[in-house]
Amino acid sequence: MPNRREFLNTLMRGGILAALGLLSGALLFRKRDENSCSTGFACNSCSKSKSCSLPAALEARQTVWQLDPAKCIQCGRCATSCVMSPSAVKCTHAYAMCGYCDLCGGYFKPGTKTLTTAAEHQLCPTNALKRKFIEEPFFEYTVDEELCIGCGKCVKGCSAFGNGSLQLQVRHHRCENCNECSIARKCPSQAFTRVPANQPSLLKGLGNERMQDAGKKGEVNA
Amino acid sequence: MRKTNLVPALLAFTTLFPKTVFAIQRFPKPEFESAYTQPQTQIPLPRGEFMAYLDVAVLLIALSVVTWLVLKKRSRLWVFAMSIFSLGYFGFYREGCVCSIGAIQNVSLALFDSTFVLPLSVILFFILPLLFTLFFGRTFCAAVCPFGAIQDLFAFKPQALGSRLNTVLGIIPYLYLGLAVLFAATGTDFIICRYDPFVGIFRFTASFGMFLFTGILLLSGIFIARPYCRFLCPYGVLLNWTSRFSRSHLTITPKECIQCRLCENSCPYDAIDIPVTTKSPESSPVMVKKMMMMVLIVPVLVIAFGYAGSRMQDTLAGVDPRVKLAKEVLSGMRDAGSGMRDAGYKMQDAGYKMQDAGYKMRDAGYKMRDAGYKMRDESFEIKAFKASGKTESQVYSEASAVLKKFYIGGWLFGGFIGLAIALMIGGRMLPVYRADYVTNKGRCFSCARCVDYCPVKS
Amino acid sequence: MKTGKSPQNTIRLLENISLGSAVFAVVLCVLIIVNFIQIKRADPLNTPAMTALIEKLQSDPGNEQLSQEIQTLDLLARKAFFTAQWQVRTGGYLLFISILLLVSCFKAIELISVKLPKEPAGKPPMFWETRILKRQWLVYSGASLLALTLLLAWLTHKDLGKDLGSGKIQDAGYRMRDDVSPTPNPQSPTPNSQSQIPNSQPQIPNSQPPIPAWQEVQANFPCFRGPGGIGITACTGIPTSWDGKSGKNIKWKTAIPLPGYNSPVIWGDKIFLSGASETKREVYCLDAVSGKILWNSPVEKIPGSPSQAPGVSKETGQAAPSLTTDGQRVYAIFANGDLIALDLDGNPVWSKNLGVPANHYGHSSSLMMYRDILIIQYDQRGAPAVIGLSGKTGEQVWKTARNVKISWASPSLINTGNRMELILAAEPSVASYDPLTGKELWSIDCISGEVGPSLAYAAGIVFSVNEYSTLSAVRIADPPKVLWENNEYLSDVPSPVATDKYLFLVTSYGTAVCYDAVAGTKYWEHDFGNPVYSSPMLAEGKIYIMDKKGMMNIIKADKEFSLLSQCPLGEGSFCTPAFTNGHIFLRGDRNLYCVEK
Repeated sequence: MPNRREFLNTLMRGGILAALGLLSGALLFRKRDENSCSTGFACNSCSKSKSCSLPAALEARQTVWQLDPAKCIQCGRCATSCVMSPSAVKCTHAYAMCGYCDLCGGYFKPGTKTLTTAAEHQLCPTNALKRKFIEEPFFEYTVDEELCIGCGKCVKGCSAFGNGSLQLQVRHHRCENCNECSIARKCPSQAFTRVPANQPSLLKGLGNERMQDAGKKGEVNA
Repeated sequence: MRKTNLVPALLAFTTLFPKTVFAIQRFPKPEFESAYTQPQTQIPLPRGEFMAYLDVAVLLIALSVVTWLVLKKRSRLWVFAMSIFSLGYFGFYREGCVCSIGAIQNVSLALFDSTFVLPLSVILFFILPLLFTLFFGRTFCAAVCPFGAIQDLFAFKPQALGSRLNTVLGIIPYLYLGLAVLFAATGTDFIICRYDPFVGIFRFTASFGMFLFTGILLLSGIFIARPYCRFLCPYGVLLNWTSRFSRSHLTITPKECIQCRLCENSCPYDAIDIPVTTKSPESSPVMVKKMMMMVLIVPVLVIAFGYAGSRMQDTLAGVDPRVKLAKEVLSGMRDAGSGMRDAGYKMQDAGYKMQDAGYKMRDAGYKMRDAGYKMRDESFEIKAFKASGKTESQVYSEASAVLKKFYIGGWLFGGFIGLAIALMIGGRMLPVYRADYVTNKGRCFSCARCVDYCPVKS
Repeated sequence: MKTGKSPQNTIRLLENISLGSAVFAVVLCVLIIVNFIQIKRADPLNTPAMTALIEKLQSDPGNEQLSQEIQTLDLLARKAFFTAQWQVRTGGYLLFISILLLVSCFKAIELISVKLPKEPAGKPPMFWETRILKRQWLVYSGASLLALTLLLAWLTHKDLGKDLGSGKIQDAGYRMRDDVSPTPNPQSPTPNSQSQIPNSQPQIPNSQPPIPAWQEVQANFPCFRGPGGIGITACTGIPTSWDGKSGKNIKWKTAIPLPGYNSPVIWGDKIFLSGASETKREVYCLDAVSGKILWNSPVEKIPGSPSQAPGVSKETGQAAPSLTTDGQRVYAIFANGDLIALDLDGNPVWSKNLGVPANHYGHSSSLMMYRDILIIQYDQRGAPAVIGLSGKTGEQVWKTARNVKISWASPSLINTGNRMELILAAEPSVASYDPLTGKELWSIDCISGEVGPSLAYAAGIVFSVNEYSTLSAVRIADPPKVLWENNEYLSDVPSPVATDKYLFLVTSYGTAVCYDAVAGTKYWEHDFGNPVYSSPMLAEGKIYIMDKKGMMNIIKADKEFSLLSQCPLGEGSFCTPAFTNGHIFLRGDRNLYCVEK
């Protein structure tokens, strides 16, 4: 009796071992559906990897969360949905795109006529966006990340009236990289995606559009 | 010259209604005359990729050490010490993210969505504890899993729960596992992570509701030891079943049981099986008959639960954001002043009858309907949908696809629950004989508490 | 026992510490919860007081005191916000430390007070009895779980799938809003209800670039008889005098390789037409400016295409149906059922064979495009139908079976003021369909015979005509009504054209007639003497009638007959002219002409 039980146990153990082996094998060597590629990376078995336009295609093995400013509608949920408080999403300034306007749509409330840094004119609720005079007629705007809560008010203003140089981004030194981002779940425009860990930015206007274009192409295909 | 650029801009700013068009070089790049240089946009990098493999290494080492401590050293104190280390590393340092329990979802999603990236480290986090359990019992639960470790700390006054409650509550992990896999495989949600009660502690931040749940779990954990592990943990289901076939499991006594009964109440988790030397009061022909019945009932149960699961299709799929959006668009389009539209219809009908004069009335009806459309407040979801340029039918067909997945998933999920319950009942019909006090290989967390109670020393 | 402090004392000390930290923890918990509720109740960054003040300031921009006030309030609000955050954070840390202390005290007590294990009182529990109980409880809980799930499913099941399915169809209706403001008329007659259900779910693809707006369609000449196929063009500056032989006002003239009676269609600067012989089928694209053939795309290797072209009459030919375009692709159909979509550079996008139409003269119904749906009137013997295909992919969007005889007429697309309707003529009826779903909207029996002329439409009235049948004016209403009928002059091939007031008709043997559109009274008739196959076109208040010999008769669209001019092409023509601003494009038997002013 004990021998038979022992034998059955061993048999089951072997079965489970085989199942685990099969599972990990299937996971490691699974075929990617190249046509529905939405990220365009992490492609160890993709036949298109050689011709893939993504420079990081072959190296990326891990992903982090990032939000695509092109899809963002500045609903303000980044400020409230993140597991971190304050949120790990912050306004990020792509200086290369900025027009250095005196009248900044991201800085001033709509309808402001006197352009001073007085509180009643500022769009930012926490005074995180700083304005500094450079030379006639240019002003530099910088984001104080310690104060920024990621509400996206300035981003909305900038993309509506300006060049769209202020953009929301996940700041990865603050991000927990949760298994499933809790903002992504709340994001109304599905702007949050997993991106390659070695190319964690989706900022526009810094010359990394190639990656995003490829991402978009994938979407169309899908 | 440059200043003049600002005049039309100012006009636009103050008078026009803003229309969001993303990233357009509306204003030219400035040409600075002073020595000003533009600052660089700082892009912080995430944690290095190799660090993930450090985590795997720590996991492997912790598993090996704990296994050795449990099986060879048989020391509760050292196991406890290891659990503090794991709590520190996987809990407070890694903040609970990358965890074997959550990895279930990544693995499920990866099996169904070929574009989902599944790093090797996550596969290892999923497989390694199972492998160890398959050979040495649930040493992962003993002192590697930070969830177990933190609950173990609070098990001050464990009470025996009673076999009935233990059994019935034991169904919950199967439900949780089934739901977690269903939601993950359909790409809907990672509910294990969403309702993870302990990460809030590890990160010192969570929503109020989550903290409430954590508090309740930990406080109840004073009397019901490790409530999450026993009555919720979905990974525990897998560990339970692998552990049942483990090769060398922790034993209470190092040599031979002397039936002293000292260990009988030592286990806070009700995982010690008492000796059974008597025969079942039910005669064996009756038992055999019941077993036969059971075998016949299994498919019935599977189908019944599967049917129930498939009927839950709409409710379950309602969690999915794609389905939610489709519902919102659908109801929006329906309510969107449907009253107004009906009024429009009526006026239109009247209009047909009165021919020429009626055309004007019908137009008025349309105007009212359009006003109805505008009147409705738009949610962010609807706004985002409009901004995305997707058509309504695209949204509907996406949602239909998800719904279809949930129909099949509902059957499988229900069938799984039916099978689990059938097995649980059937398992309690098998003949039993054991002479000694032994650990229940499925439920035992290998915490090594009972070892201290055994007077027999090697 | 050790010397010095006894374990009891240590334990007591530890117990006191743990009690203290427990109390501290509870107090902290309460404080944190209060703080949390405070923040939840009033977000300091978003107070109504602040909003009110700012609104006040905007109406009174110069108020220094007010801005001062706002600044103070703002400072306070920010301070409150950040302090609250700091409080929660610090509170959290303190709580953590106190609980840590509590737990370590407890663990220390556990360690110090090593209790010897005791033999439990009483007998060990009865194994078999509890086992039966367990089984019973499992059965109970399983049953209640099942019942609960079924109840929940019954309570919450919403037939979402069906809603989404119907939503897709409904959606098509909503998408028409940008053309006109339509509503599917709930009162519309539904005689053949089984034929209304589209065979497949309309999965209208998201076309990128977007579908051309109706205005854009109207600015071009995208199909037979102009936008909507009702013989009317909005183009201006149309030449009224030319001579094909002498070259007067002829901008260019280009020979078309293969014959075809299809009329040119135009999008932007590109003219599309097709030609075919028994063995070859081709689509041509010409530059409207230079007349050069930009590309010539052979239509071949289409799966399902018959090896032999069907027998057709000489007067129909293998390429009678005119092409259509939506500005992204051009579509052509031939007598053998070959259907092809080419991009504007002549590259095939998709192609298919619809099955050789059972048609003894040869298929001649032209194609029509509505938004992204290619519409084909396929009224053949046996299985007459109207088909809507996705322009992008060629997939069938809808197909509606028709209970009619063979027809040679082409579809027309009309805007009735509240919706777009697709109207078709074939014995026995004139019928209207929703161009997006193929659903029949109305139909009226008023035509018979082998219908060749297409329909005319203006101001809510559809005009149908056929030889050996009757000329009918049908008012679109609910139900549609025949306003008047006449069978003095009837047409075999040319289609009528209508304005709000008049209907102009040309018979195949060359007599033009004008009727009052509403009353049906005849104003005038005029015999040109030569047979006419081309359909008259209305442009700038003039009617352009081309006879088979190539003479264009231009008359005033009025109740008085007035012949404005007669312009010879120099070769025979069966085709209907196409127009752009300032130009007419005429397809003769061999050449395509561009006439300028």
